[in-house]
Formats: sequence, C-alpha cells, structure tokens
Amino acid sequence: MTEAVAPERAAPPAASASPPADTPDGVFLIHGLGGTQYDLGSMHKRLKNAGFVTHSLTLPGHGTQPEDLAGVAAEDWIEAVVAKYREVRDAHPRLHVMGMCMGALLAAVLVERERHAKGNLVLLAPPVYIDGWATPWYRDLRPLLYAVPGVGRTLKIEEEDPYGIKNEQLRAIVKAKFERGENFHYRWVPLECIRQVDRLRAILMKSAQRIPCPTLVVHAREDELTSLRSANFLVEKIGGGRARMVVLEDSYHMVCVDNDREIVAKNVLEFFGAALPGATSALANEPKMSREALAAAVAATVAKLAGGDFSGLRDVAIPDVAWVQPGANRMSGAHAGKTFSAFASRITQGHRPRFTAFGTPAFNRGIALVPATFVAERDDGRLESQGALLLAFHGGKLLEARWFADEVEREDAFFGAPEPETPGAESLEAQFDVAAAASKALRRAPDNDTLLALYSLYKQASVGDVAGERPGALDMVNRAKFDAWAQRRGMARDAAMTEYVALVAKLKAADGA
Amino acid sequence: MQHLIAAVLVAAAYFALAAVSYAVAYSPADAWTVWLASGVVVGPLLAASRARWPGVLAGGFAGAAAFSLFLGSPPLHALGYGAIELIASAAAALVVAKVVALPLTLHRPRELVALVLGGAAASALTGAALATAWHVADGGTEAGATFRVWALSNFLGMLLVAPVIVAWARLTLRRSGGMTMPAFAAGAVACALFLGTMWMLFDAKPGTRFGASAGETLTYVPILFMALVALLWGTRGATLAAFVGALIAVVNTAQQEGPFVGAAGFLGDDEFEVQAYALAIALTGLLIAVLAAAQRDAMRAAREWKTRFEAAIGAHRLLAYEWDPASGRIVVTGDAAGLVGVPAAAIGSLADWLAVVAAADRERVSARFDERVRGRGDADVLTYLVSGAGGAPAAATDEARAIRDHDGTLHRVVGIVRVAPAAAAGGAA
Repeated sequence: MTEAVAPERAAPPAASASPPADTPDGVFLIHGLGGTQYDLGSMHKRLKNAGFVTHSLTLPGHGTQPEDLAGVAAEDWIEAVVAKYREVRDAHPRLHVMGMCMGALLAAVLVERERHAKGNLVLLAPPVYIDGWATPWYRDLRPLLYAVPGVGRTLKIEEEDPYGIKNEQLRAIVKAKFERGENFHYRWVPLECIRQVDRLRAILMKSAQRIPCPTLVVHAREDELTSLRSANFLVEKIGGGRARMVVLEDSYHMVCVDNDREIVAKNVLEFFGAALPGATSALANEPKMSREALAAAVAATVAKLAGGDFSGLRDVAIPDVAWVQPGANRMSGAHAGKTFSAFASRITQGHRPRFTAFGTPAFNRGIALVPATFVAERDDGRLESQGALLLAFHGGKLLEARWFADEVEREDAFFGAPEPETPGAESLEAQFDVAAAASKALRRAPDNDTLLALYSLYKQASVGDVAGERPGALDMVNRAKFDAWAQRRGMARDAAMTEYVALVAKLKAADGA
Repeated sequence: MQHLIAAVLVAAAYFALAAVSYAVAYSPADAWTVWLASGVVVGPLLAASRARWPGVLAGGFAGAAAFSLFLGSPPLHALGYGAIELIASAAAALVVAKVVALPLTLHRPRELVALVLGGAAASALTGAALATAWHVADGGTEAGATFRVWALSNFLGMLLVAPVIVAWARLTLRRSGGMTMPAFAAGAVACALFLGTMWMLFDAKPGTRFGASAGETLTYVPILFMALVALLWGTRGATLAAFVGALIAVVNTAQQEGPFVGAAGFLGDDEFEVQAYALAIALTGLLIAVLAAAQRDAMRAAREWKTRFEAAIGAHRLLAYEWDPASGRIVVTGDAAGLVGVPAAAIGSLADWLAVVAAADRERVSARFDERVRGRGDADVLTYLVSGAGGAPAAATDEARAIRDHDGTLHRVVGIVRVAPAAAAGGAA
C-alpha cells in the first residue's frame, strides 16, 4: 500500500535570459537510493568528453551514513533536485536530465513538475515496479511493516549479492568495496527509505503521461530489482512519439557499470545529440551556438590550420575530434579520438603541412564550409591542393573536420599510395607492429644501448620529434631515453620504422627464436 | 537492559510453548509427547554470542519456574525445575560450542550433527537425569518413566524449536538477492502439499479415510514433500514446516486421530510412533536443507575462486590451456576474446588454437604438441605471434608442461600463455 504525495502544482519560475549561444549544453545527473555518482559509472566523463557540462547533487541523507536517511522524505529529494535544476537550468542553451534507479524516478518527476522543455530525459533502470527476479519473497509484505511504529527507522534493508552487477569481476570489486566500508554506496538503507521510494513510484505512476520532453528509457532485461515492466509502463504512458526504450541483454540493474555500459553511453550520447565522430549530419549536429560564435570558432580553427598546428586543434575541439582526409594515400581515412593524435603527428612529420588562401566561409547550422588550399612540402616536392574544409561544431568546439580536395589525385601522388594488403607482403606499418610485438618476446634482454635505440626509433616512428623539457640529471633513465629520442630528431617516420623493424629482426636472429 | 529484554522474551516464549506442549500432551498426567519449551532456551544460546547467554538462561529459568508454579507445584519444586532447565540448556550449548563455532549457521553437516547429538541429546539426557534424581529423591517410584518421558519429549521439542530459532535468527531483509520468487512459489506449493497431506493423514479417525494399513503406509508421502520444502526453501522453510507438520501429527494423535492410533506399529505405542515420526520429519528436513546449504556455499566458494583466478590471470594478460591428446580437446581459460580476439568457448580443439597463431609460427607451435605426444619435451617456453583482439599481431610467450601418468604416457599438456599488448607504445625500452 503506497500513498502519494499531493503533487505541487505551482507554476515553475520563468526562465531568465538565455545564455550565450556558444555555451555548451548541460546534463543534470541524479544518483540512486543509497548511492553516489558511482551509480552512473563513467557517464560524467563520457559526457564531458562529448562537450557537455555535467551537474549533479548529493541527495538529502546521502554521502554520509545510512542512519542519516531516516527522516528524509520523498519531498526532500524532490525539493533538492528541483532546486538544483532551477540553479543550472538557465546556464545552458539546452539542459538534459538523467537519473539512475531512484534518481530516474526523481528525474521523471522533476521534468514533469518543471515542464521541462529545454532538453531530453534519460531514465536508467527506473524502478516503477519493484519486481525483479532477485527481489526477496517478502517484498510485498513491506506495507505491513510500514504500519508498525518505529520499524521504518530501525529495520535495515541490506544490499546483497548480486549487487546489481552481472559481470562477476566487477561484482567482486563492488563486494570488496562494501566490505572495506567505502563510502560509494550505503551498505543498507532504513525501511523508511523504501517507503519513500514507494511514494515516489506512486507519484510517477500518476504523472508519467504528463512528461513533456523526449525520453529515453534504458533497462536491462535481467534487471534483478525491477523488471522490464517498468520500462514498458513508462514508454506506454509517455507515448511512443516521445519515448523510446533500449533493452540491454547482458546487464543487471547497474547498467552504467555492468557489461553493457558502452551501449548505454553510446545510446545516451546519441540521444543527447552529442558530439560524436561522424556527427556532421544535420540531425545529430545541432548548432547550439550563434552565428557569431560559429564564426569565431571557425576563425580559431582556421588559425591553427594556417599555422600547420594539427595537434593544436585539440585546443579548440572536443577530445574525440575526428579528421577525415580524402583520397587513397597514406594519410587518407577517418582519424578520430586517439588515432587523431597519431594522424596529426604523421602528417606533420616531414611534410610541413598547412592550409592557406582561405575563402569566405559559408555557414549552415553548426557547419562551416571554408574554401582553402592545402600545402605540404618536403625536400623532394611540394603539394598545393585546392578544395574546401567542412568544419562541424558543437557548443563552440570543433567536432569534425573533413577536407575535400578538388584534385585528390595530386595528394595521392604526393603522399604515396598506402601499402598493398596483398598476402605475404606486409605494409611497413604492419611490419612495424609485428616488430613491436616481437620485441617484447625476446628471451634475452638487449643491452642498454640497444634498448635505447629501440625506444628512440619506436617513439620517432610513432610520435615524431621529441618535445618537452629534458628530464633532470637525477632522473637518469628518462634523461637517457629523452637524449636518445632527441638524436633522432628530423628522422622521417618511414625511416624510423624501417630501422626499427631491421633492429628487431637482428635481435630475434641473435635470440635464436 | 539487553539481558533483561532477552530474559523477558525467552521467559514469555517458554511459558507460551510450555502451555502449547501441555495442551497437546498425549496424557497430561504422565505422557508429554513433545516439550517444545526446551528448544526456546537452547535455540537462542546457539544463535547468539556468549555475551547474551546470561539473559537467555535467566529467561529459561524464570519461564520454567513460572510454568511449574502455574501447574500448581510448590515454590521449591518450581525453583528446582527452573534450575534443571537452566543446567540442561547450558550443558547443551556448551557441548555444541565444543564441537563447532557459535553462532550456528546450519550450513554445514557438522553443525547438524553437533545440534542433534551434542545439543539436543545432551540437553535431554542431562535434564532427564536431573529430573529423575529429583523424582527419586522426592520419594517417587517411576524413575524409568520419568527419565523416558523427559528425555524423549525434550529431545523432540529441541529438534523442532531450536533449529527454527537458529535458522531465523540470522534473517536480514534485503533489497535484492536471496531466494528468488519462483523458488519461493515452488516452495510454497511443496509446503502446502506437505501440510495438506499431513492434515489429511492425521485429522481423521483411524481407518476412516484411508483404511487401517493404508494410512500408516501413506505417512511416507509427507516426507517426500518435506524434502522438497527443504530443497526449495532451505533451513528456514524446512524448520518452520517441520514444526507445524509435527504439531499436526502430535495434536491429532493426542486426540486419538491419525494412522498411529491403535496401530501395532514398529514401536507398539501411539506416543512413541508419533514421536519417532515427528523426529523423522524434522531430521529429514534439516538434513536435506543443511546439505543443500553446504552445496550452495561450496558453489559460492568455487565461483569466488574462479573469479579471483580469472582476475589474476586477466590482469597479467594470461591464458591457461589444457589439451587432452586422447580427444584432441583443448580448454582455454581466461579472457581469450580480449587477448586473441576469439572467445574461450570457441576454442575447442588444437586446430582452433592454431588458428589464432600467426601463420608463420603455426607449424612450430603444432610441432611442439606433436613432440609431446611422441614423448619428448616435457616443459619449455615458446614465443610466437598470435592475432590480437583488434587483429594486430601480439607476442605470446607460451610456457607449457606435459603431464604424464605412471608409465610415461602423455595425459595432458597444460600451459600458460602471456599475451603482450599489441604493438603498445614504448617498444622494448
């Protein structure tokens, strides 16, 4: 038997002045009962990497000790999330709301009460029904205990195996954290808290159909605490036009931590229209910035490219920025995230690349098309390739850059064709990779000079010229490595790779392998 | 204060269960079929820490003395009776504590043996001896009957009540985990069948429902359902069901109903028959529930061991394999999907393993297994390249060892393979 809180019907305060258009979007994250931000796994980091600003709060009664939950009512939690929401709502052009477990109930109640229309809603494992396969047999008797004075505050409801986690390695880690008493999640909560969750459930059941914003419900089929019935209920109430559901097949309740966490992150980011590689489609790439802000972002990017500072693009881009280079040459391909660094190093090494002769940019939502000329030079030749740069932005940051060459054949000729993938004829890069692997399998460790040679060649081939300060005299090992690498300065990447492969082959032969 | 609360609770429970035992006595004057109150003292002693013993023992003493007074005994007799209860209960708890660690969990067969032979028997025999001595010293002449009635009714009462307290004392309410709803529902069906068949067998005048001999034969049926209850509900369900089922049998038999009344059974006495039957039910349920709990604990320990092992070899990027030359099967343990791009379950033969080895090294690796079969090379280390998870080559260091039987025939080849990160930064330096 649950009792519902009389819904607050006061109109939410009107939004104040809009923030500058180039302000990044925000995401408001709400943790679950007895939990902390650990409930949401790496979502904070993933969202930040995608260009969002994240906001969170510690719900009343949390973050200290379980006893502090006694006396906290559902209204206190609702009040806290409403206050936080109103605090951050106007700081972003768009603000998404996301909650995990009880946090999902709160998130749903929040967006309904605040008539949230500034962004989307993500509900992770919302426990509208507490009916999962591992809920205890006495779960339906709890309303009887609510009626017994004093029991609600004193009776402890404990967290137990499987702790919402299907992955046994992760579960062992969580179990150890509990045993060590780490304050990432309460080991138990008072029965009274379960009653408050029941009240929240009742509120949401009555108001779910009034949720005004696009909603994504993520739920595990094997959720041990709350079955898929909860997700189905919400999608049905909110309506298929506004709500959609992602069902996870390899997780329990803690979907942000368990086996399917990558699927969760990907779906959430996509749902938020996040800065994802390949996001130049009009649908995914919402501008979220004024024309002036877009022009300023284009100018900053162009300045980097004019100076040939490909690595420096990271200063004006999201961490997962992607560069797409056309043609069928050794620089061609889509280079995103970590591989962008390798690309930036490879293209700058020995080629002195830069863009010049920029034309007037044309803008379309978050995308700018900039006519330009790509110039690259090396000792035996020079490339001038005219074309256009397509730059996609999100919240003031560069998402993706695509270079369209008018005559891509000229670039192919300059950079050379990629190594053929014919059997038995490995590319230099493949040979390099094999050699790097083989270098770790040597039975006899090479002498120090050889190790330094291996190291310097490897770094020159994979990173390029050494940068940064020389380590101090007391740091002899790193100083020696730095010096060895510095001696390779200016050495072409291919030459470094070739020399590295030859050196490893020589060592293998000597090793008798 | 806690001692006082414990004493009051135990005394009240003692009095209540003594009243129930009195009400269901076969012949209140001299034939107490079951003395439930004895278990209400020993149970908490076995389920709690020793620090709580004084309060529990005081409660047992007070409850026994109060009930004796209620029956009309003189105060001195009542005090003496309370003292016997106190000594018998303490003796039982001490004997059990000598054999196993307290508090009891009823998760190990050794605990069950200690409870039955140490706790229940020690308490029953100690109490019976003291009560008989008192009876004789007081001029009584029925020493044998006194000893028998006391010992048997206490032994049965102890095995019906103490396990219930021990099993339920450690109940913690959980948000999730423990018995699943399907198991609970199946157990509920089994329990309903157990109690239903018990009721049908015992709530009828002899011969009226099933015929004289058929009734006795059918007393085996509830034991089958008791076993199911124990398997599905564990010690908590089994002890509770046994308690209720035994009461059904005892109450009805005392009312001259059920299959044991007037039957020339093995023991030749209605009271003995129903006592033995109730004991059989209680012990069957307990034994199966404890064995099932022990098996679950063993499986949990094995799972934890497996998790630890996989974490250790995973952290070191190791795979373990075992190759059976007779069948050609190979069993790979570890994160094969993460290290060589193929799930361990998909590597079932030597050919599967060789498929993840780089083409240039395949013959060398294969030859090594052939050499083992031919009886050469018991242990060595081989380095070769494998296809890493992303398809990039990765160096593997394979330390293999042959296991041979007493006459040198190859039994297994086992190995540990360390897979280096595919083309990781830093080279060898």
